[in-house]
Amino acid sequence: MIAGAWLCLLAPLAGALLITLAGTHISRSAAAWISTGSVFVGFAGAAVAFLQVAGENVDDREHLSTAYTWLGVPGFKVAMQILVDPVSLTMMLIITGVGGLIVWYSMGYMKGEDEERRYFAYMAFFVFAMLMLVMGGNLLLLLVGWGLVGLASYLLIGFYHDRPEAVAAAKKAFIMNAIGDATMALGFFLLIAKTGSLDFSTVFAAASDGSLSSSTANLVALGLLGGAIAKSAQLPLHTWLPDAMEGPTPVSALIHAATMVTAGVYLIVRTHAIFEAAPNVQHLSAIIGGVTIIVAGVIALVQWDIKRVIAYSTMSQIGYMFLAAGIGAYGYAMFHLMTHAFFKALLFLSAGIIIHHLAGEQDIRRMGGLRKVMPFTHAAFLVGALALAGIPPLSGFWSKDGIISSALAEGGALGYTLVVIGLVGALLTGAYTFRLYYLVFHGEPSELVLEHSGGHGSGHSYGQEDAQSHDGHGHAEGPLSMLIPVGVLTVLAAIGGLVVIPGVWEPFLTWIDGVAEPLVTPTVAQEYATSAVAVALAAAGIWLARRAFAAGRELVADGAVRTTLEHKLYFDELYDTVFSRPAQVIANRLRTDIEEPIVQGSLGEIGAGVSDAAVGTARLQTGLLRSYALVIAASVAVLVVVFLAAR
Amino acid sequence: MLGPDTTWYVAVAAVLFGIGTTGVILRRSPLIVLLSLEIMLNASNLALVGFSRHFATVDGQVFAISVMAVAAAEVCVGLGLIVAFTRRKMELDVDTLTELRG
Repeated sequence: MIAGAWLCLLAPLAGALLITLAGTHISRSAAAWISTGSVFVGFAGAAVAFLQVAGENVDDREHLSTAYTWLGVPGFKVAMQILVDPVSLTMMLIITGVGGLIVWYSMGYMKGEDEERRYFAYMAFFVFAMLMLVMGGNLLLLLVGWGLVGLASYLLIGFYHDRPEAVAAAKKAFIMNAIGDATMALGFFLLIAKTGSLDFSTVFAAASDGSLSSSTANLVALGLLGGAIAKSAQLPLHTWLPDAMEGPTPVSALIHAATMVTAGVYLIVRTHAIFEAAPNVQHLSAIIGGVTIIVAGVIALVQWDIKRVIAYSTMSQIGYMFLAAGIGAYGYAMFHLMTHAFFKALLFLSAGIIIHHLAGEQDIRRMGGLRKVMPFTHAAFLVGALALAGIPPLSGFWSKDGIISSALAEGGALGYTLVVIGLVGALLTGAYTFRLYYLVFHGEPSELVLEHSGGHGSGHSYGQEDAQSHDGHGHAEGPLSMLIPVGVLTVLAAIGGLVVIPGVWEPFLTWIDGVAEPLVTPTVAQEYATSAVAVALAAAGIWLARRAFAAGRELVADGAVRTTLEHKLYFDELYDTVFSRPAQVIANRLRTDIEEPIVQGSLGEIGAGVSDAAVGTARLQTGLLRSYALVIAASVAVLVVVFLAAR
Repeated sequence: MLGPDTTWYVAVAAVLFGIGTTGVILRRSPLIVLLSLEIMLNASNLALVGFSRHFATVDGQVFAISVMAVAAAEVCVGLGLIVAFTRRKMELDVDTLTELRG
């Protein structure tokens, strides 16, 4: 079992190293196969570990395996160790499973791209880093993984390094994440000072038996929350995620939708003991999640870039997970994390097929009518969109409604506000998802679409024909290596939610509850009541999107509101004015007023003085070796005499 | 402790060191100067090993080994210089090699 887990962690690292070291000695497709293969080997390891752990008693499912002491000073020790328990196993299966499919898909998507090998090495490295994050057996190793995924994300966002926007987006992501890393590190320093350890067991025991003072617990939880919101692109550290769409589309699917951005949710679930010792901070994370659901949802209504719409949707959905983790519904947070990984990866990969087909075009105003041209992609995207909107029985329905009903079970002012936010979010999700769907797939095929599909797009709009019947034609839409992963993800997005059916069959929740006991448990009646309302609202959102599309207008009419939304609520401009510009002004003033007159001026004076002194000293250099030796010997003799006399 | 007293080792080291110093200062051939330098280094090695034995620790011996490594490296450079002098048909006399005068 432990061997499987270690294999899972190390196989992608070996793949990344192999591709890097082999360089141009292996072909591009060999690099792609090594990368895909190593991630699937990791999946096999994780699956073996999962099957064995699942067969154990609920109380014995936590396994800590220590390889060696990584760093040790008296009184403080950190070991290189991995933790295998239901939460980390769930993450391992998602990362290697969905990750493997996406790397496989990249084979077709990246074909013919320059520097394919570098791409595949980065992808395998990312999978390793993400596994390190979720399997790390103590907080320091978690932070190591946290930093490494940030690096992998930076490298992959900036993969097209000849595009200035991509490089700028990569830097933005890295800096935003560094803020979160710093707050996390501060929290850890405080933990070391107060508990003398970063081991999960010691720290959590201290948090739950009350030996941490409430101010310490609050500060540590705030530090962790800072890291979580930066990594998961929650307000106010969210501005990097839409820009991160500059990376290749499979990267957006893997890192900026399915796995890395959900690391913040994993962190809160993993360190729930600390958050429970600081209930105010835990509620803060629920509130941040709630605000992000709404803000990202409304911004998604007006975006024109297909990937940015999905990116804002990702922020909004992670908002649901934060909401769930913030009220203590850990099982539902992890459940939504898993279903979101399925349907969001599916949406991104379908969008990737479209972008690939249209030679890199991402503007949905230039798309349209793709339903007839790309029936397979249409079916896959529709399943993903319905799952995202939370239409039963697709996966998003079970997880999102569980979160809203948990908020209802929480009750009180906070709980009811969050219920309203969750329901409004459901409406928004339906609206923005289907605005995108209709604009891309319905209507008359645009010029661009006709040009790329040999002109056989038909003129019929709004046919109610069953899209599934077109599956047989799928091959024309892209290479099989792209279509098969999309097909698998379509199935997962459709049925992945069937592991939790409230009141009937809830193995997933039982599985997670063994590690993180939930603070709230909705009753079955609450589950079905919120489900009915949420589905009705999602359907209303879809209906609004369809009506607006049929009338040929946008969901948000032109005007001040639309302008504000198109500027993403002016967050970028605000940060520019508050942080970036003042820093530039101060730096410029420092250069003109301090650096040039004082520092450089004084250096010139010092140089001239030294030069004068050197001319005098140079006379002592006779060039006669024997005279130097004599001086040295004489000096030593004098020193010896002095030492002897001084004794 | 078997063998002579530590004083003897130090005395021999001092004598060797004196011989070496004298050679460096008085001789004019760079080759002999290098030889004398080696004698000085070995004198200090002897002192190191002697004290190491006196205090019953291995520190001095370890240090002596690193001195040998440094000496070997230094001889490489020194002999290389002398070969270069010869190639350029320069006179092998340290008193005439004074180009580095300030």
